[in-house]
Amino acid sequence: MRSGNPFHDPLRFGRQVAECAVVIFGANGDLTRRKLAPALYRLYSGRRLSAGFAVAGISRTPVSDEQFRDKLREAVAAETSFDPRVWESFARAIFYLPGDVNDPQMYPRLAARLREIERERHTGENVLFYLSTQPSQYATVALGIGAAGLNRGAGWRRLVVEKPFGHDLKSARELSATLHQVFTEAEVYRIDHYLGKETVQNILALRFGNGIFEPLWNRRYVNNVQITAAESIGVEGRGAYYQEAGALRDMIQNHLLQVMATVAMEPSATFRPDSVRDERSKLLRSIHPMAPGEVRENTVAGQYGPACIGGEDVPGFRQEPGVAPESRTETYAAATFFVDNWRWAGVPFYLRTGKRLPKRVTEVAVQFNPAPLAIFDGVNSDTSPNLLVLRIQPEEGVSLKFLSKRPGAGMTLRPVSMDFNYGSSFGERSPSAYETLLLDALAGDATLYTRQDMVEASWAVVDSIRRCWDEMTFDFPNYPAGSWGPPAADEMLARRGHAWRRP
Amino acid sequence: MTVAPEQVLKELAALWVSLGKEEAEGAAVLRACAMTLLVAADDAEDPQAIWETLAALMPEHPSRAILLRVNPRPETGMAARVFSQCWMPFGQRRQICCEQVEIAVSAAGLPHLPPVLLPLAVPDLPLIFWCRAPGLLAPELGAMASKTVVDSARGFDRAVLRDWSRAGRVVADLEWTRLTCWRELIARVFGNADRLARLPALTEVRVAFDGEQPPPAARYMGAWLLACARAVGAQPRLVFEPGPVLRIELHGPGLEIAAERAESGCAEVRAGGLVTRISLPRPAEHVLMAEELSIPGRDPVFESVLQAA
Repeated sequence: MRSGNPFHDPLRFGRQVAECAVVIFGANGDLTRRKLAPALYRLYSGRRLSAGFAVAGISRTPVSDEQFRDKLREAVAAETSFDPRVWESFARAIFYLPGDVNDPQMYPRLAARLREIERERHTGENVLFYLSTQPSQYATVALGIGAAGLNRGAGWRRLVVEKPFGHDLKSARELSATLHQVFTEAEVYRIDHYLGKETVQNILALRFGNGIFEPLWNRRYVNNVQITAAESIGVEGRGAYYQEAGALRDMIQNHLLQVMATVAMEPSATFRPDSVRDERSKLLRSIHPMAPGEVRENTVAGQYGPACIGGEDVPGFRQEPGVAPESRTETYAAATFFVDNWRWAGVPFYLRTGKRLPKRVTEVAVQFNPAPLAIFDGVNSDTSPNLLVLRIQPEEGVSLKFLSKRPGAGMTLRPVSMDFNYGSSFGERSPSAYETLLLDALAGDATLYTRQDMVEASWAVVDSIRRCWDEMTFDFPNYPAGSWGPPAADEMLARRGHAWRRP
Repeated sequence: MTVAPEQVLKELAALWVSLGKEEAEGAAVLRACAMTLLVAADDAEDPQAIWETLAALMPEHPSRAILLRVNPRPETGMAARVFSQCWMPFGQRRQICCEQVEIAVSAAGLPHLPPVLLPLAVPDLPLIFWCRAPGLLAPELGAMASKTVVDSARGFDRAVLRDWSRAGRVVADLEWTRLTCWRELIARVFGNADRLARLPALTEVRVAFDGEQPPPAARYMGAWLLACARAVGAQPRLVFEPGPVLRIELHGPGLEIAAERAESGCAEVRAGGLVTRISLPRPAEHVLMAEELSIPGRDPVFESVLQAA
């Protein structure tokens, strides 16, 4: 909400944004139907969007405004608490322009259409360009926007891009250089939707909103940190895309390293976007770059093979549609990272991600050092370490495991778990990550968006692993679907006396 | 008959033991508490309906809820009973439970309750006093609370609220809370820079109400609109007029804005030639209370409107 609006009541009102137009390139795609349109509708219905709001979809398919609205209506009705009367009002703000992003003439037509929309909807000449296209088209679209002068106007202009931001450090820098020909860094919003998740944001709240955790948040008290992002499904028809990406690029380079940065970063002096991003960036740049020998010791690549799960045969990755029978793409990646700073020196950060693992779960487990002296030596007494688990999905929450006396005679200890963040798991609907991120982009808040230096720092970490892996030969597949990954991942931790926590 | 706080606390402790025993092996019972919620209601009011409202509040605002059922008959003694409210969040295998205490008391006994209630308040957490009937707004109970919530639609004298507010107590009125969505709508209209620039020239604010005299909601809305307009130098006149509940109009050079309830659950806003329709359901009582419980401290906007309305 524009500052200076005397009617705004920050204590009671949710965040609102000023009038604007959202231009979605690739509007006929899955992302628009499943995520963007429902998120925008919820924001509109929840009174978060200004009356002067418009959506302009662009895609090659030649349909009319009305046909595009009908298509979105179907998708929105399926994904939200749909109210046809509200939809009717929202739909009046939706427009469509058929066009090919590779056609230079499309952009002047878009400029003309935006002028019409501005006259009708009073969007304040503020425009958010959302690239829901193939990543290979990002540069083309950005340059087209620039050539038509769409990147400048009386209002603000912002560009939102989805991952992947390049496929390695070199391509990430090239993409950034192209985008910067048209937009300033402050105008570019790189989405990592994990950062928009309530529970990832809650890591910052837990660490920096309370005084009791931060004193323990260092090498003196923390034994190791495990970050797991597991999926139980396979590639689900996206084999051709996934084959080009792999788990390392698809998940570790962006989501997991961002989560690790959130867990391990230094406190920022303020909660202003650049303060927080400065600290995340600093952490990413502090991750120890692996030499080839270290890659072999500290990383594991895996690929799922066929298995029978619950009586049902599931194919291996190489049997999935669109995947080459001899594919060398990893569907599982695990790595041990170290952070070269005073806070974390010597503390292993174990990251793992994979498809066709036993369950869908994303969590951070901070394992603390054991008590310096075991004075309770009761028979059957548990001596397991304290564990703080930050569950990101599906059951969001924070739990602390500690030892307590078992009732009765003697001093036998047993672990108990206390949940500190039940508030988000009570069925109260939290905003979706896309609602949060879209609202932030429209409001000009980049806290939850990735900055170019963060992208480059995480590519630098991953590139050294990728280069080694490209030269190694893996005996794929090396884990059956439904298992927790290759045995080598367990061995990697066992070498340090650790074991993966079973989520 | 009287209530011994220690006895009530013992019964609450025993409650957790029995809850834990009842659970099947492997499941868990989690006690949740973020505040003490003290509710005062007439004995004639359906307690089940009140407990249902409190149950709806529990997921977002778990509390030790103490319901005072106040009987006008002075010979009514004091009696208490203790129970729990539990629910199992979808997809989880544990119950989340909150404590509930119901105390029957006479109206004459209200001022003498603090020594009974204070030991029952959960340490280190806020105590919120929700008074559901005007005759039960005992200063002694308000003094215990970090926040007092009333609903002037139930006939509370706003002069008392104003006095309490001036004395430094945190007060809230659900009639004001009902206006949040409407106020958001108006604020949204002025998200437009052009309209905002014309605001200092606003000449008239019209608030329509149903009835003979403007009800609290209309007065609050009128006072708020005036205050916001004056903050940017406008000096509009405020007109209350009969009409459908609730219609708001703002008039001035280049400013013709109207917001009113359309069909059930929707509101229509007309501004700058655009008509927008927004979902605006009439909030249930627990939704209003949830909003107030989310604001533990002072609300300077409401305090200012309360004094002016």
